[in-house]
Amino acid sequence: MDAYLIAMLVFAGFYALMALGLNVIWGLTGMVNLGLVGFFALGAYASALLTTKLFWPMPLGWAAGAVVAAAAGAVMALIVARLRGDYLAIVTLGFAEVIRLTASNEIWLTNGTDGISGIPGPWRGDVSPPEFNLIYLGIVWTAVAVVFVLLARLSHSPFGRVLRAIREDEDVAAVAGKPVLWFKVRAFTIGAAVLGGAGALYAHYNAYIAPDGFAPLLTIYIVLALTAGGVGAMRGAIIGALFVIALLESTRFLSAIIPGVSPVQKAALREGAIALSLILLLRFRPQGLIPEKTRTKAFP
Amino acid sequence: MIQDWRDLAQVLLNGVMAGSVLMLPAIGFNCIFAVLRYPNFAIAGFATAGAFAGWVANAVYGWPVGLALPLAFLVAGLVSLTAEELAFRPLRPAGPLTVAIASVAMTILLENILRFSFGNDLRGYDLPILRDWRFDGIRINPQQLQNTGYAIVAAGGLFLLLGFSRLGRAMRAVADNPVLADIKGVDPNRIARVAVFIGGGLAGCGGMLIGIDTSIDPLTGFRVVLSVFAAAVVGGLGSIPGAALGAMVVGVGEEMAGLVLSPAYRTVTAFLAILLVLMFRPQGILGGRN
Amino acid sequence: MMQTTIGRRGALLGAAAAFSSFAIGGRAFSQTTPVVFGALPPLTGAGGPYGPAMLRAAQGVVEAANSAGGIKGRQIRLAFEDDQTNPDAGVRGARKLIDVDRVQALMGTWASSVTTAVAPLCWENRVPLFTVSGADSITLLPHQGHIFRTQPNSRLQIETASKWLLGKGAKRVFHMAAQSPFAQSSQDVMTATLGAAGGAVSGYIVYERDKTAFRSEVDTIMKSNSDTVMLNGYLPDVTILLRELYRAGFDGRRFTFAYAAPASVFGTLPNEVTNGLTTFQPSPDLNSPAFTRLKAAFGSTEVDPYSAQVHDHATMAILAAAQGGDATGSVIRDNVRKICQGDGEKVDNVTDGLRLIAAGRAVNFEGASGPCEFDERGDIRGTKFRYEIAEGGAYRVLELV
Repeated sequence: MDAYLIAMLVFAGFYALMALGLNVIWGLTGMVNLGLVGFFALGAYASALLTTKLFWPMPLGWAAGAVVAAAAGAVMALIVARLRGDYLAIVTLGFAEVIRLTASNEIWLTNGTDGISGIPGPWRGDVSPPEFNLIYLGIVWTAVAVVFVLLARLSHSPFGRVLRAIREDEDVAAVAGKPVLWFKVRAFTIGAAVLGGAGALYAHYNAYIAPDGFAPLLTIYIVLALTAGGVGAMRGAIIGALFVIALLESTRFLSAIIPGVSPVQKAALREGAIALSLILLLRFRPQGLIPEKTRTKAFP
Repeated sequence: MIQDWRDLAQVLLNGVMAGSVLMLPAIGFNCIFAVLRYPNFAIAGFATAGAFAGWVANAVYGWPVGLALPLAFLVAGLVSLTAEELAFRPLRPAGPLTVAIASVAMTILLENILRFSFGNDLRGYDLPILRDWRFDGIRINPQQLQNTGYAIVAAGGLFLLLGFSRLGRAMRAVADNPVLADIKGVDPNRIARVAVFIGGGLAGCGGMLIGIDTSIDPLTGFRVVLSVFAAAVVGGLGSIPGAALGAMVVGVGEEMAGLVLSPAYRTVTAFLAILLVLMFRPQGILGGRN
Repeated sequence: MMQTTIGRRGALLGAAAAFSSFAIGGRAFSQTTPVVFGALPPLTGAGGPYGPAMLRAAQGVVEAANSAGGIKGRQIRLAFEDDQTNPDAGVRGARKLIDVDRVQALMGTWASSVTTAVAPLCWENRVPLFTVSGADSITLLPHQGHIFRTQPNSRLQIETASKWLLGKGAKRVFHMAAQSPFAQSSQDVMTATLGAAGGAVSGYIVYERDKTAFRSEVDTIMKSNSDTVMLNGYLPDVTILLRELYRAGFDGRRFTFAYAAPASVFGTLPNEVTNGLTTFQPSPDLNSPAFTRLKAAFGSTEVDPYSAQVHDHATMAILAAAQGGDATGSVIRDNVRKICQGDGEKVDNVTDGLRLIAAGRAVNFEGASGPCEFDERGDIRGTKFRYEIAEGGAYRVLELV
């Protein structure tokens, strides 16, 4: 049971990192990103390939994962930043699918649907599996803490205030003399870097990545995490990630005790319950568990 | 791959057939967008719901397609209306993106309601499968031709409704300028409900046509959803004729992909079409306003 | 149960509690506690059409074993989780099964990506993993004997199938493959095997599995002047391809893996479309009474290859535990080969197997999916293949080679 809880906390750490990355893009700047799993995948693949094929040291691989995802984020933002939110939603959704398909088909680079196995982990093999889990728990949550502090600062800096101004009203921000496009691109790049870094960490924990793992469902989980925690608030992203893992895992135990339904029906109830909780949260607690305390706009 | 004009004609024809299947969900998507200004990703769920409704009528109760199709429209339309009233309408003040995200969740919810009720098994409509007709080496399938016919009839019905009825004029008025329409005494909520019902219903018909052409399971709508969005964007978000045209462009593009890229990259073609259009004509081919 | 669930959730949120102690924990338990096995089939996602039947097969075996008195008097419980056809969800599900349910064996993983993702958890926790996944890379993992793969090596399968096709006079075979871990290796093997005997791969297309229209692909097949098309995909896409090939009037041989067109395909497609479709799958000896009994045990419905394999997974895990005298992962791992190969008495079901083992006799399990003999890597070997042809809404056995 302990091993299970620790592993789930590690997963919660990945989800928290992703939620933090999304929070910069969506929460602060107001740009929707339904393709965040694509950036996550880019980071994971970059680090996995560099460490297994070119034998880069792991920390360098993690950094590279963040950089590659950031670069993709920058390009993406340049193309789409001037689009309205609804277009952005569709484009980012498509982007993630393109990444997944490319990873499936470019076998020479990514090993295709077979995936990349044997990705090294820090001290894996030298320590026992439970110890490795604990070490990784430390690494992931340290990363969460560092990213949290940096992003919280960013959020309260003049830069962050401009981002919020853009979120509230782009035209007003532009009239105030802010280069809106440039700010959006920077925000998107920072968010993508965090997502890529999360992907890199994930690859080295699981030791294996494959295109199947980067399905759109993961994006939904992270959006749910951010919605649950409170869009815009950095603390909310972390609370939300813990909430999502708790929801995903507790539904296992709850669905197991429902009598008179078949296994498929249990699985359907479980997935359905997760989707329903997102809808209910949006409806009844749109500000999330940790509402953003913003100085740019007072809630009525 | 393309050796003479017949090959090209065949690919174009295949593309039109594929596109006509995407057309109704894309029109449904744009119909809802035109009036409510949010992308309703749950269109995939409505399509699957319609496919199952039509299947029950046809395979279980033995209804002919001509009768099952209106039922698919009705059921999917009601599902869409229910989703709107219970889940999406209260979220509208929070902005279009909030609704969009809720609609993604709604798709997963609908998929799992269907999975709970019907299981994961693949199901086929109770229809004979007809051989292709051949004209000078070019093959056309009568069944797919018939499906294209149904799609055109449904789309045509919508055009007539929009163009020549009071309700249609009211819908266009709300789509053009909700405030002005309100002043003129058009009830925007009523129009919204009509748009949501028709949009969901068309998606349901599209889902049933996909089901006739292939087979159905809870993931039926999900499989085509990216192509449908691509069609809607390429044609111009909110434009009904745009959606029809966009569906053809995406359909042909995806069939062409097999010749130019690899068939394993069909979905990428749809995405490339979106990007190209957005870079050079962000309002879409037939989108007027942006 | 409800109480403990909430407790677990509380504990999950209260991270501190988790830090305080960690220990894998002894796997000792009294005679009264049940033995727990875990199943991790896909109940949602792309594997959805297969997973439910696989799980039912495992449950059936466990019920039979429990009626026969269980493993040395201990009842067996089958815990299961949905892998959602996704390695991320699969790993979380496997964690729960291994760490919370304390399963002693894991079975029924389907997607190669899920199997590869959960495999390290299995060998780290000394839990044997029985799988139906097709990727050949799986048994090459450093699994220390923990993986048993009942799906024959894909190179072996394709080579066998290619030779059979050559024997039936096939000269030009079109290879239509869904993107999968064994698409490319299948293509290499087909090219080599057919080429060596004067045949040829007349065309090769890798397609996207999730699509609903394959008309242009079928045009390419039609133009390739092929006498046979090899449909190397899965149920949803192969169903569409069969329909499209019929429409186009393809008159050559249509050949596919039995899992891509299990008997349920007759409910989805009219007979005129399926008639003549040839499938192949690993198989036990047809003439043995065992096979007849197995078919009866599965009821009137034809058993699909994956369910047959998972039936064997559960049986092997139970018999190995009974043979070893202790239901721990390591004991099961070490005893699988003892109960399914060698000179022991042939058994084909868990009830007989348990009875013989209790009587101290050696057994050689021959399952629903074949003789179940494993090489040192955990790959199945020495299996025969059954070729069947669809006729009027049912499969007729052509031959067993």
